[in-house]
Amino acid sequence: MDYEFIYSFKKPQLTGNWFLDLNPLTKLNIVIVIAIISILSLSWQVSASIIAFYFLLAALAGCLKRFSKMYIKLGLLIGSLLFIMRAMFIPGDHPLFTFWLFTITQEGIDKGIWFSTLVVSICGAIVLFSTITRAKDFMYALENLGAPHSTSYIILASFQSIIDLGDRAKLIMDSQKARGIETEGNLLQRIKAFIPVMGPLVLGAITSTEEKAIAMEARAFSAPEKNTHLSELRKVPLWEKLFVLLVNISLILFIIWRFI
Amino acid sequence: MKGIELKNVSYQYPLSEAFALKNIHYTFEKGKFYGIIGPNSAGKTTLCNLVRGLIPHFYEGELSGDVLIEGKDVREWDGSLLSTKIGYIFQNPFTQISGVKDTVLEEIALGLENLGIDKEEMIERVINVVKLLKIEDLIKKNPNNLSGGQRQRVAFASIIAMDNDILVIDEPTSQLDPESTADIFEIINMLKSQGKTILLVEHKVDLIAEYSDEVLVMENGHIAYSGTPSDVFSNIELIDRGVAIPQAALLSHDLQRQNKPFDFITITNEQAKQQIMKRMSCVNGSY
Repeated sequence: MDYEFIYSFKKPQLTGNWFLDLNPLTKLNIVIVIAIISILSLSWQVSASIIAFYFLLAALAGCLKRFSKMYIKLGLLIGSLLFIMRAMFIPGDHPLFTFWLFTITQEGIDKGIWFSTLVVSICGAIVLFSTITRAKDFMYALENLGAPHSTSYIILASFQSIIDLGDRAKLIMDSQKARGIETEGNLLQRIKAFIPVMGPLVLGAITSTEEKAIAMEARAFSAPEKNTHLSELRKVPLWEKLFVLLVNISLILFIIWRFI
Repeated sequence: MKGIELKNVSYQYPLSEAFALKNIHYTFEKGKFYGIIGPNSAGKTTLCNLVRGLIPHFYEGELSGDVLIEGKDVREWDGSLLSTKIGYIFQNPFTQISGVKDTVLEEIALGLENLGIDKEEMIERVINVVKLLKIEDLIKKNPNNLSGGQRQRVAFASIIAMDNDILVIDEPTSQLDPESTADIFEIINMLKSQGKTILLVEHKVDLIAEYSDEVLVMENGHIAYSGTPSDVFSNIELIDRGVAIPQAALLSHDLQRQNKPFDFITITNEQAKQQIMKRMSCVNGSY
């Protein structure tokens, strides 16, 4: 028996990385401030700098690989899609070139760059937060603030049910494959194979939700007692409080500088 | 001492015309181990849902008759309070994992967190139950990545840790190998010795015969037979009605048909072994 692991729950489980060990609400505060700066700056250069800054923060937290893997994929997809849409459809006085029905203008390009970097920078805040924060710690922090126990469970369970649904879909597809139904090939073939799976997938999800509710009831989920926690969060140290204060003051100063 | 009383209880699931339970009249006494057997769709799981209070608190439908838990009608019980009194482990191990905990250790502690148990006691209880279920090697694993059998043991551990007075257990060994099944029965027997009331639905009749105090045979929503394992499994009608009976009882009945009966109808392997040894020693003695 790994008693060291078991007894590690007697105190807050810290990683030793100062950034990762920040209170989830502190981390949330930081990423929100960064996202607000990106929104208020109205400048693609600031948004792009913020995107680069996320990588620095992820490296600081020791999660660069995991963050990059997720963020680059998402950023490229969303960023390129938004850029293309803006560049193609925003009219302007300075046409650059024309193809088919579309005239690409300098204004369209500029707005496309600004808007795509802005959205990608906001997405980065969300991705960074989810990478550096364990969902259960965040929910625990929210519960400490007074959020109901059931709310945090629903949010956490929803994340897991997305994974479960994916696993179940794969299982049904494998079963179909074992029965000789073509599930691979071009996009059309894949869609044709996937549509019949939707019925059992949804029905299965509904049934398992009912059973899960019973399982949670068996674990005294709605018991009237005030619930306790095995894991605990570190008491927020003074330096962390001051750090949050500094971050928020910086935001206020930025707003003053930008708009007054 | 009466634990759960069922008086002329019938039940229909919503939108169903058939009765899942028909005129059940039975008393589960405190501290006893009840084995519930019967074919599929006989009403075993519905009986569990009823005793656990999920009927009528979770499943609606038509419930008639009285279900008294510790003398109080189940309709008057607060559903959330029942979960602190009656533990329930059900068939499907895949939906019994909460899905919100990162390790088996935390998964087992979830029920204790909901009961408001303080951390020191929580850790002690989890350690004990982990040792009892022999799942030391699983505690650091993610419960969502476990096999069916492992999940079943974790679900079992999670409920045992809650230390309920009454345990309703619906086929806890359906995904377990013979060795783990034997372990589970040993644990259930130990829980019985601690004074807990146990209702166990199980198809492994040999083990039911060996461990339970009373056996209920369900058939088409009613209790067809009930009594001590010896009373129930001695009844030759069970074979004619297609009810599974222990190997030892089957052997006994066969020998009786051939006019070579044992001294009594054996229901456990140990009893059959002793009878065979006795007969062999008689045969050897006659030579």
